[in-house]
Amino acid sequence: MNRLGDRSRRPWEPWLLAPVCLLYGGLILVPLALILWFSLADGGTDYATVLNSPLLPVVVRNTLVISLITTAVALLLGYVVAAALWRAAPRRRTALLAVILLPFWTGVLIKNFAWASLLQDNGAVNELLQLLGITSTPITLLHNRLAVIIGMVHYVLPYAVFPIFSSMQGIDRRMEQAARSLGASRLQVLWRIILPLTLSGVSSAGLLIFIISCGFFITPVILGAPSDMMVANLVDYYVHTTVDFGSASALAILILLGILPLIFLQQLLPKESMHGAG
Amino acid sequence: MGRGERSGPNMLFLASVPILVFLLLPSLIIIPMALTRSQLIQFPPAGISLHSFADYLSDPQWVHSTVLSFQVSVFAVVLGCLAGSAAAIGLHGRRFRGKGMVTGALLVPIIIPLVVLALGEYLLFAHLHMVGSWVAIGLVHSVLVTPYVFISVQTSLTAGLNPALIRSARSLGAHWPNVLRHVYWPAIRPGILSGAVLGFAVSFDEVVVAFFLQGPGMVTLPVRMFTAIQFELTPKIAASASLFILLATLSLIAQGLLASRRGAR
Repeated sequence: MNRLGDRSRRPWEPWLLAPVCLLYGGLILVPLALILWFSLADGGTDYATVLNSPLLPVVVRNTLVISLITTAVALLLGYVVAAALWRAAPRRRTALLAVILLPFWTGVLIKNFAWASLLQDNGAVNELLQLLGITSTPITLLHNRLAVIIGMVHYVLPYAVFPIFSSMQGIDRRMEQAARSLGASRLQVLWRIILPLTLSGVSSAGLLIFIISCGFFITPVILGAPSDMMVANLVDYYVHTTVDFGSASALAILILLGILPLIFLQQLLPKESMHGAG
Repeated sequence: MGRGERSGPNMLFLASVPILVFLLLPSLIIIPMALTRSQLIQFPPAGISLHSFADYLSDPQWVHSTVLSFQVSVFAVVLGCLAGSAAAIGLHGRRFRGKGMVTGALLVPIIIPLVVLALGEYLLFAHLHMVGSWVAIGLVHSVLVTPYVFISVQTSLTAGLNPALIRSARSLGAHWPNVLRHVYWPAIRPGILSGAVLGFAVSFDEVVVAFFLQGPGMVTLPVRMFTAIQFELTPKIAASASLFILLATLSLIAQGLLASRRGAR
């Protein structure tokens, strides 16, 4: 019966995957193949150009430092929000969820524009600092690394909250009660019970955020200084400034080689549903 | 004991309030910033005026970019909905080796660095003499939209449709167009709608691909804003950003309505 049913479905079901295969084949595989081809067109000299460029170590270091700081800060803030969400009564939880989900609906450009306006010399943050008497003249808050990190943390924070929150939901609350009744302090419960049990969510979120952060392109341009250029900006530099598609392609391949292991690792981690709460 | 139980969550809530303010603040200030009377962006705004909206809506280039962005996003959403929901139906209730990998491959557009994809698309469409064509931008955006529709349709299928139901429909003699219409369609409709709303937001806000594929007269609104922001922060940019905030709010409401209707069922 079961087999008969399956056989009767066979003729048309695989065809349902045809549009996706066509779309992804033509618009992901072909472009990636073109990048590979362009990167090798000069017999590999483009890789030498990129690897010997004095800009490469700078942008790689920028990318790693900015992404690591962003990941750490986002995990810390995300953990607090996830815990608040986990402990909240149902009605408050709905309100909190709405606040966390709202930023998902605006893209990185709009958020960065808002941050640029907030952080500029006559922006709200400087006005507030002067109002509070912390400073008498505006402090330069825009076009530096701090602004890039603020903008990036703001963008990736929701990606931290949901995996951590869903790993918290799996915790048996009786475990905590048992520890408390045996005399553990609140901090001990957090450190010895809750943190280890949410480690899978934290690592999954951390890896995801790090991968996303490494690809940032808009934020360093809008919020950073030229010295905060990241690897994605160097690709753009090769394409639009030096019009050197071979080097741009070689760099793109190097970026993929750097990020692919992280993506595979992310796939291997136990799944904490990103969309569990949505 | 009872008291201790209560103080924990409240402290956590208090600790999370500044973080939530940090999360919400940028979205909240954009519309007030657009309403300023000054020629510069200020907060708090200096007097209330609609001149920035007038500036935005009377500039033919900005209006053209806005129309173009809608055109690209609608095209991308239609194509993405077709491809994404077909794939979700095709994989529904099937078990085979490597299914996890197929699902993972479907989500590639979410995780691939956009600048790498954008470079590849530039090389491809330069070859096809299609750089600066809205169809090219729309096609690539449809790839970015597809995974969101796929996830959303897959979720509504797993939640609302037992594969056995399709087998019984089939064994009772229903042909596949009828199975699609009467068995699948009611189950996937909320999923497609919510995927489409999310996909529209993804496409409408996308900068990097549209930046690489832009051409004379083919500049989407986010790309125009991206270029303008690097030059100067003006209330006109805030006025066009208000459109994004408005669309985001409408999307969130639409999503909420869809979710509550799904819950009521």
